[in-house]
Amino acid sequence: MTMSREYKVGLFISVTLFIIVITLLYLAISKGTFERIHTFTLSSRSGEGFTENMPVVFSGFNIGNVHTLELNKEGVVLIYIKVPDRHVKWIRSDSSFILYRPLIGSARIMVNTENLKSPPLDPRKIPEVLTVNDINDAIAKIEPVLDRVTEIAENIQVLTRNLSDPKGDFHRVLGNAEKITTNFASKKSLVEMAVSDPESVKALNESLKKLKDITYNIDRVLVKVDKMADKTDREIYGENGALPHLNIILKDIVTKLKKLDKTVDNINSISTDASEGMKDMHILRSDINDAVKSIDDVAKKLDAIIGSKKAPEFRVP
Amino acid sequence: MKTFWEKLGRAAIRIIEDSSDTIVFAGRVFVRIFQRKTYSSAMREVLVNQIYFTSVQILPVFIIVSVFFGSLLIGIVFTMLRDLGLTEFIGHVLMGLIVTELSPFLTVLLITLRSASAINTEMAVMKVNRELKTLETFRIDIVDYLLAPRVLNGIISIVLLSSLFSIVLLISGILFAKLIFGMNITVYTNIVLNSTHFSDIVLMLFKCAIYGFFITLIPIRFGLRASHELTSIPIAVSRGMVNVFAAIVIIEVLSLLIKLY
Repeated sequence: MTMSREYKVGLFISVTLFIIVITLLYLAISKGTFERIHTFTLSSRSGEGFTENMPVVFSGFNIGNVHTLELNKEGVVLIYIKVPDRHVKWIRSDSSFILYRPLIGSARIMVNTENLKSPPLDPRKIPEVLTVNDINDAIAKIEPVLDRVTEIAENIQVLTRNLSDPKGDFHRVLGNAEKITTNFASKKSLVEMAVSDPESVKALNESLKKLKDITYNIDRVLVKVDKMADKTDREIYGENGALPHLNIILKDIVTKLKKLDKTVDNINSISTDASEGMKDMHILRSDINDAVKSIDDVAKKLDAIIGSKKAPEFRVP
Repeated sequence: MKTFWEKLGRAAIRIIEDSSDTIVFAGRVFVRIFQRKTYSSAMREVLVNQIYFTSVQILPVFIIVSVFFGSLLIGIVFTMLRDLGLTEFIGHVLMGLIVTELSPFLTVLLITLRSASAINTEMAVMKVNRELKTLETFRIDIVDYLLAPRVLNGIISIVLLSSLFSIVLLISGILFAKLIFGMNITVYTNIVLNSTHFSDIVLMLFKCAIYGFFITLIPIRFGLRASHELTSIPIAVSRGMVNVFAAIVIIEVLSLLIKLY
C-alpha cells in the first residue's frame, strides 16, 4: 500500500503530537497538577537559606515545595508551603520542620513525623522551622583541628627560634659534638678516650688477645666433639648401628610374645576345664563319703547285732 | 587611518541595516503566519511538502541518530555523575541540561544541516532563474506561497522532532539508570518527575519554535539576496549558513539568560 505524501505528513504530526500530549499529561498527573493543593504556613526567625520553589522533603521524597516567603509585622518570616493532596498524610500535628542546608547541593525543608497516627496539621497552626547547617557544623568540627594546628605551628616556631639562637641548646649540642669529634681525631681509640689510661688499654688488649686464644681452643674442642658426635650417631643410628639391631630384636620379641600370649590363653582354658572337673570330683567325693558313712552305719549295726546274740545269724540283704 | 575608520563604520552600518532588514522581514512573515488568507490551498500543499521533506523523510534516520547519540550522551553524563558522586543530581542534569538544552540544540543542528542549507540554495537558484520575478508577474504573493510555508514548516518540524528527541532520551535514560546506577524504573521516574518543571518544558518548546522560525527565515533571506548570476548562489548559501549558526548561538545564549533570571 502506497501512502500519499499528505497521509504520511498527517500521520507523522498526529502520532508525534499524541506522544507529546500523552507525555505532558503523564507529567501533569504525576506532578499533581490536577490535584488539590494544601497550603501550610511555617515560621522562622530568619529568612536566610529559604527560597521560593525550595523542595519540602519527607524521608528523602519530595512532597511539596515552598510557594512564597513573607515577613510579617513582628519581623517573623512566614514560609508558605504547598503540598499535594496525596502527600498531605505525611504532615501531622507533631511533625517537625527542619531547614537542611548541605555543604554541597541545594537547601531543602525536611519533614519529620514521629507518629503518623497523630491528627493532621491544622493549616492555621504555624510551626517553627529549625535549621541544620552543614557549613556551620563543618566549621565547628574544623575549629578544634585548627586550634591544634596553630599549637603545632607555635611549637615549630619555638623550635626554629631555639635552632637559630647562637646561645641556645642546639648550638650547645653542636659545640659538644664538635669536641667529641676532635677527641676522636686525637685519640687512638674509643677505649682510650673512655678510660684515659694507656696502660689499662694495653692490659685490656692483652686480655682480649688471650680471650681470642681461648675461644680458638674452644673452637677446636668443639670441632672434635662434633666429630665424635657424628661417629656416635653413625654407630647408634647407622645402617649397621645398634639401634636398628635393637629394633629387629624388639620386633622378634613382640612376635614371640604374641605366640606366648596364645599359649597362656590355652593354659587358661585348660585350667578352667580342670576347675570344672574339680567340681565333679567334689560331688563324687561327697557320694563316696555318703557310701562310706552308710557302710560304717551298717558295720556298726552288725557289730551291735553280733555283740548281743550267741549264734549270730544275719540275713544278707 | 581614515580608511580603517571608514571601513569600520561602513561595516557597522551594513550590519545594522542587515539586522533591521531581517527583523522587518521576520515581522512581515510572522504577521502573515497568523493571517487566515495566507493559508490558501497552494500554500497548504507547499507546507505539506515542506514538512514531508524536512521531517517525515528523515524520520527513520533521525530516530536512529537520536537513539545512538542520546544513549551515548546519557551514558557519558551518568557515568560522570556517578564518578563524581553526584548521583542525586541526575534528574536535574537529565531535565535541565540534556532534555531542555541539548536535545533542541542537536535537533536544530541536524535540521539546519539538512533543510536550512537546502532552502537557502533553493531560494538562491529561484532568484537566479528569475522564478521569483515570474511569480510576481502572475501576482502570486511570494511571502504567502514561498516564505510562510517554509517558516511554518521550520517551527512545526523543530518542535515535533525536538520533543521526539527528548522522549527518546528519557526512554534511553531508563536503560542507563538501570545499567549504571542499578536504579529501577520507579525511582528513575520519581527523580525525573521531581526535576521536571513545566516552565522549563514551555521554555524549551518556545525556544524550538524560535529556532524553527529563524533557521528557515535566515536562509530564505540570504537566498533572496542572490543576484542573477550563478556565482552568487554559493556566496548566498555560505553567508546564509554562517548567519543561521550565529542565530542558533544567540538564541541559545538568550534562552540561558531567560532561564537564569
